Amino acid sequence: METNRADKDIRRYIAKSAESYVAPDGKTYLVISLKTAASISKSRGVPVKEVETTALQQGIIPCRYLRNIGTIGVEGQIKLLQSTVGVVGAGGLGSTVIELLARQGIGHLIIIDDDRFTEQNLNRQIMSTEGNLGEYKVMVAAKRVTEINSATSVTTSRERLTGDNAQSLLSGAHVAVDGLDNLSSRLVVEQACRQLAIPYVYASIAGFSGQLMTIFPEDVGLSSLYGSSSRTLPEQGMETKIGNPPATVAMIAALQVQEVVKIITGVGTPVRNQIILVDARECAIDRIQLGS
Amino acid sequence: MALITVRFYSLWRSYLGTDSTTLQADDIQDALAQLEEKFGRRLRESLETAGVHLDGRIEDYSLILLNGITLRNLESNNLKEGDVLHIFPPAIGG
Repeated sequence: METNRADKDIRRYIAKSAESYVAPDGKTYLVISLKTAASISKSRGVPVKEVETTALQQGIIPCRYLRNIGTIGVEGQIKLLQSTVGVVGAGGLGSTVIELLARQGIGHLIIIDDDRFTEQNLNRQIMSTEGNLGEYKVMVAAKRVTEINSATSVTTSRERLTGDNAQSLLSGAHVAVDGLDNLSSRLVVEQACRQLAIPYVYASIAGFSGQLMTIFPEDVGLSSLYGSSSRTLPEQGMETKIGNPPATVAMIAALQVQEVVKIITGVGTPVRNQIILVDARECAIDRIQLGS
Repeated sequence: MALITVRFYSLWRSYLGTDSTTLQADDIQDALAQLEEKFGRRLRESLETAGVHLDGRIEDYSLILLNGITLRNLESNNLKEGDVLHIFPPAIGG
């Protein structure tokens, strides 16, 4: 009863604060500003995420998501705000993924990384700066998320993901995203995701090239590329010879985020049981259907 | 003897300057040997020009799938007419 009254109260505040906004296509939306959402959040003692979700449920768009709505709809944005995404690794792929997920409006992020920023990270790890070298990546990432989107809450784990802790660290996530730089950890994440019955968005890069695949628990997954025996796994790929340039990282991380959005909103088709191969050198994208 | 298609992807296509070839081969070993003979040196030279030195044969530094299944998981080395070998470099960085 109390909760219902509080809900109604918040809805009333939001409706009262909504303003008209005419989009570039001439369509008129009811919107609430960042300042209004923050003010209602503070005065009613509820998280910004709840204010934004309640607004969307009334067809009132938080201004910050206006440019998302045409692609994923109001329902899609609500689903994103109600979702938790685990990002394993906050380095190259991971930090760009985190940045974009926060801007997209994911409700909660679990960020796992035990590493600190070094000079070699500056070329591609979007959250590394000359001023934060030596700082833990997860701490920098959490701060950045808070600066970008006050509706996105963050849990950080400053430890290395292993077979023993993977399930526990990713518990509560609806999707896990790969921000890793080695195959053995990826296999650990894949296994944990199968046990947690959540999809895993795998990706990796080398030079101008990248690979991407979304693995649902029932899908073939990484064994289709690397075999079922851990004895034959390569330690390194071509990246040790041709590097990890920034634009490749950003390009593949962006595709990962699109996969997350598709999985959560149901808009579009995730890349399942296929490997996507991107070659920016020739601007080519291929897909190979994988067998079991 | 089966007529198969070999498809090169990603950087291998770029460095070889071709996207596919066909081979008449008895089995996978035969196909890989022909592949090495036909393309191994060209790929290594092309990579060397780009500043990348690789030792070994194509299969030593490539991911190779037969009809979408890694060679490591195959139960048989036999090939049949119309089979497709997919070849591309491993990318593990992030």
